[in-house]
Amino acid sequence: MVTPDLASEEDIAKLIIPDDLPNDEPSFKAYVEAKVYDKEGHLIQHHRQPMRSLTQYFLALMSIPLIGTYQGASTNSATGILTNVLGLPSAITGNSNSANIVWNWSIQLGSGTQNFSPSLTSLAAPILNGTGAGELSYGTLSVSRAGAMIFVSVTVYNLTSSAITVTEIGLQGTVIIQYSSGNKSTYNFLLSYDTFSTAVSVPASGMAVFQITLSFTG
Amino acid sequence: MMVSKGIENTDFVMPKDAYDIGKDMPTFNAYLTIIVRDSEGKIVKVHRQRSHSPTFNFISLFLPLQYFINCNCGVSVENTGGSTNGFIPCASSGCGNISYPNTATNAPTYLVMIQVGSGSQSNPYSAYKLASPIANGSGSGQLVYGTPSVSPSIYVSGNSAYFTISQTFNNSSGGTVTITEVGIITQVQITYSNSTNTVNFGQLLVWYDVLSSSISVPNGGSVTIYYTFTVNP
Repeated sequence: MVTPDLASEEDIAKLIIPDDLPNDEPSFKAYVEAKVYDKEGHLIQHHRQPMRSLTQYFLALMSIPLIGTYQGASTNSATGILTNVLGLPSAITGNSNSANIVWNWSIQLGSGTQNFSPSLTSLAAPILNGTGAGELSYGTLSVSRAGAMIFVSVTVYNLTSSAITVTEIGLQGTVIIQYSSGNKSTYNFLLSYDTFSTAVSVPASGMAVFQITLSFTG
Repeated sequence: MMVSKGIENTDFVMPKDAYDIGKDMPTFNAYLTIIVRDSEGKIVKVHRQRSHSPTFNFISLFLPLQYFINCNCGVSVENTGGSTNGFIPCASSGCGNISYPNTATNAPTYLVMIQVGSGSQSNPYSAYKLASPIANGSGSGQLVYGTPSVSPSIYVSGNSAYFTISQTFNNSSGGTVTITEVGIITQVQITYSNSTNTVNFGQLLVWYDVLSSSISVPNGGSVTIYYTFTVNP
């Protein structure tokens, strides 16, 4: 195949047409899953659907193990992706020790809906952690792996007297830059956003397990 | 916005009750685009394929803190020289985490290169080096490695977003050089925020692909390799 010359990354991007590659197995699959239990512990709903919408912040986070945090071996500045997309500092200043970066994830549930954008920063109507009306009590996040698959799940308990309907779910990321023996700067991002194709209703005194599966199938 | 024609062919991993909302392209994809030019700079081949394979090293470095808290464990990453290092990130000052730029100290974690090779290996996930790396140089069978380039930001278009990593290789070897495997090599250093101590993990293979068809780079020509990482393509 011969094409005209290519001038920019945009030209390259235009060369990438997924429909051109119908026999090439996708490299990534992701799912959102919910299991709902009544107050007696019986499974009353099991819902699974493909995850549809990772944000640009997910890409930025995965750039860290992919291309590192520095622009190069002799350039003591953070990559453009980290500064421009995540808003992280170009470098930590005034710190005689070293600086480092680490991150964590969490699952946020919500009761609203909104159109997706790669720049979304929050759910439309997050369900708060608590026991008040319309709130769910969030358990500890669980993260495990099996090969190139990562499983992220959280158990929520409805300690209110009414059913609570969950319509949206997001994977949230918290990036922490540590420096100077205990000082930290924390940044929060929405890594994915999905609305459930069928609302998930958690009954009073019931519980539910929400799981996000990220599979780099290779 | 593209909708995959291949969604009907999803394998057993797809849950049976997965809900089809009509936009079933995987939310994340990676692609390899390889452009070969002859000695006059004319494009003589464009090769495209999905990129499939983050390595064990990549997944280990990408895991969030909660994974390490849950398992009360660490992971072991292996550099291209075959040496292993334990990695146990945490959020206290005495922990070793991936280095971040700091004006007083410099322990860079950075992209070293896209590396090309002439071999292959059947389990890319467990690869920690290319099977048969092509050396940087102008000797027989070698390619002159250019400097890798990364998008300065993430490009957003509608619901899609992407960034690219690219690198050009020139062939001054006197003969055709054939590429069959490609990988991304990143230097990783661990630092501690309560000291200036560092641990150098060395060069890690974090992404690896065997090409679906080999690429021949003519003498005097060049090849540019683009990795594109995209969400919602």
